[in-house]
Amino acid sequence: MALFADLSTPIVMGILLGGLYAVIALGLSLVFGVVKEMNVAHGDLVILGSYFGYAGMTIVGIDPILSLIIGMPILFGLGFAIQKYLLNRAFRISMDATLMMAFGISIITQNTCQLVWTPFPRGLTTPYALKSFNIGPMRFPLVYLLDFIVAIAVMLFLRELLRRTYLGMAIRAAAQDRKAAHLMGINTDQVFALTFAIALAFAAIAGVFLGLTFPFTPISGMPFLIIALGVVVLGGLGSIVGTFIGGIAFGLAQTLGGHFFGVAAQMLVAYTMVLVVLAVIPRGIFGR
Amino acid sequence: MVVRKGIKVTVAKLRKGLILSIGVIVVLALFPIIGVPRVWLLYLFLFFIYLTMANMWNLLAGYSGLVSLCPAAFIGLAGYTMTIMTWLGLPYYVGILPGAIVAALFAMLISIPVFRMRGIYFAIGTLVVPEILRVVFLLWKPVGGPMDGGGRGYTVHGVAEVSRSQPYWLALAIGIASIFLMRYILRSKFGTGLAAIRDNDNTAASCGINVFSLKLYSFVIAAFVMGIAGTIFYIYQGFIEPTSAFSVRWLITLMLATVIGGEGTEEGPIVGTIIVVILYFLLARYAEISLIIQGIILLGIMLLAPQGIVGSIRETRTYQSLFQLATRR
Amino acid sequence: MGEHRRGMSEEILLRMSHVDALHGSFQALWDISLSVKPREIVAIIGANGSGKSTLLDTISGLVHPAKGNIELEGKNISALEPYQIVDLGISQVPEGRRIFPDLSVLENLKIGSYNRKARSERAENLQKVYHLFPILEERQAQLGKTLSGGEQQMLALGRGLMSDPKLILLDEISLGLAPLIVNELYRVLKEIREKGITILFVEQNVRRSLIEAERAYILEAGRVVLNGNVAELREEERVKKAYFGA
Repeated sequence: MALFADLSTPIVMGILLGGLYAVIALGLSLVFGVVKEMNVAHGDLVILGSYFGYAGMTIVGIDPILSLIIGMPILFGLGFAIQKYLLNRAFRISMDATLMMAFGISIITQNTCQLVWTPFPRGLTTPYALKSFNIGPMRFPLVYLLDFIVAIAVMLFLRELLRRTYLGMAIRAAAQDRKAAHLMGINTDQVFALTFAIALAFAAIAGVFLGLTFPFTPISGMPFLIIALGVVVLGGLGSIVGTFIGGIAFGLAQTLGGHFFGVAAQMLVAYTMVLVVLAVIPRGIFGR
Repeated sequence: MVVRKGIKVTVAKLRKGLILSIGVIVVLALFPIIGVPRVWLLYLFLFFIYLTMANMWNLLAGYSGLVSLCPAAFIGLAGYTMTIMTWLGLPYYVGILPGAIVAALFAMLISIPVFRMRGIYFAIGTLVVPEILRVVFLLWKPVGGPMDGGGRGYTVHGVAEVSRSQPYWLALAIGIASIFLMRYILRSKFGTGLAAIRDNDNTAASCGINVFSLKLYSFVIAAFVMGIAGTIFYIYQGFIEPTSAFSVRWLITLMLATVIGGEGTEEGPIVGTIIVVILYFLLARYAEISLIIQGIILLGIMLLAPQGIVGSIRETRTYQSLFQLATRR
Repeated sequence: MGEHRRGMSEEILLRMSHVDALHGSFQALWDISLSVKPREIVAIIGANGSGKSTLLDTISGLVHPAKGNIELEGKNISALEPYQIVDLGISQVPEGRRIFPDLSVLENLKIGSYNRKARSERAENLQKVYHLFPILEERQAQLGKTLSGGEQQMLALGRGLMSDPKLILLDEISLGLAPLIVNELYRVLKEIREKGITILFVEQNVRRSLIEAERAYILEAGRVVLNGNVAELREEERVKKAYFGA
């Protein structure tokens, strides 16, 4: 009985953390599934979102979640420009070219953040970021629950966007058959730019909630990118539900890994799982 | 006869080229002795180290179709091996070969999961590897006391007293060796097999080429040579710690050098490394700005000249007519 | 399907002049010249590898001509992007149908009218398509991938009509389908033609092509080797020998 209660904390934590990972991975999944690009700059762009939240807090003095009103449009616009003027062109050259271009964007983003905000760790420390809540005898940080709720909200939003709007239909069509989409009169360059823009808007949200949950530095993007990669591949391309379940899987891997092997080793467990997933499941559980 | 004359001319050219190269190498080797400024030695040192690594990255990405994002894994592992051996009382030069061997063995080990991944999945799979090592070495302290290892890193024992010229000569040696290694590989049967694989895995396989073995050879050779360069680098630096040893910056530097020069060309890495080192020289004080500019250059090259400088020159009409002239029978 | 000018016989709807086109690094089309008049039914006949699909892709803007011109109603469209060409009124029903497998039948049709001009007429056009292919209305909620081959072809054709085209390009619509279904498809094509739409189709099946079309071009290894009225072509010795084994 004691062992059971022992496990229940890491399990609940893992599920809640999984929500955060799902939000982080969602933008990556959208771009990979639709535009067929692997955006290795995604982790750094999420952290950029965290820094925007930080800027909102320290410069303007508003709550980071509120600062999303400004942060999301900025990242949306940035994403649109990146895809339209940079990545679309690289895609015409080769897959390798898009990978390298994404790397270029990654370095630029990382080092710009470092230039502006120094390597010193930052956190979005709001009053509620320090609160916790109870389930029975167990206590959990409130932000973890917030992360989970936001994950569900964002995913529902994306699902409705894809299902009910004409743009959403065009996005799905372009993801399924690019050539046929061209023949339907769909301007795929434009659709992909909008997709990338939406993905970065999600990254803005993910960044703020990441910042509320963990401290971050300009180089924090890589660990989250790796986990997001695992989530996307495990969950399967083009599956929102898959991304959610993938996120939870990795959240659990991390918390349970930390429970059994020590806190220091928790990332190792998650990383190893990423490697295994990449080697074993090229197409994901829920993907096509 | 025109043919014989052509051959004579080529041999004469080769001999001239060889004499010139040997001359240049001798001059470079003499630099520390004749009292050239320390800064020059530093940048030449970096040039040869990066050149070696860039050549190997080119072997993988430009010739074997393996866009591997894990050079830091080989470099850092070799560096740590050498460092640990110095903590066990051995002189630094003894650690060079074991470092390279460990890197090569590691390459063989990770090839098991990683070679199962196709295309873009291979790239992101290799991206994970250095990050795993970074965390491992943050936690694991194989030697030393509580104030050593982990995040604090290890100093390399026994190099403080050594003059700067020894690692310099080692770098010069491996740099030149890497050029010859590339020449040799590309002109061998191995090289032709690689070219076939780069163009199309499946077609190559149906021609009887053992795709897996060739890729593995490339991977292991590249790991080995990068390992050598890595150990020499840390001998010079005298200090190693996980975050910088397994940092993605190794990849960025190598990728940039190879791509600027021209992936899949022999001269590309040379040209690219020159440019990268010049950039370092110009922006030495401004680390972040230097990297931002490198990122912008990477974007620019991808947009304007994805074949790199050497690749672009090869495509110009001037080059092509000159080339035809030179090889005409 | 919209108002279209009743063309004089001298008016050309689509003209290709001396077009060269590449498929990857391989040259697929050599010096192609053809023309299509309004409300004609024209066939492009050729075996596999003769460049038929590349020809349609070039008209649709998926491939840009390396040399030569393509004109729609006198306007040069060679440099336009595919979506712009759909906007101007050329629709393609691609080889293999290529319906969107995970979109419903209704969504497949709706996406056919993605371009601005056709969107306003969407409801009307949808009814017209359902009238032509009642089975599509029956299956409108089903996912594309659950339809049979013949139904998918009807969906692809219906989808192509949703963009309100002046010219519809069809790539091998008879492939893999039973003759009865193919008959029905070609009957529908004639009906569409009566409504004012011009038809250019690509076929491997020579007999079928020479029955259904009015004029035809015969393509071999990327070149037009013969063209003319189908009546004349049927009598041509070369055609008889090559395709009917006379």
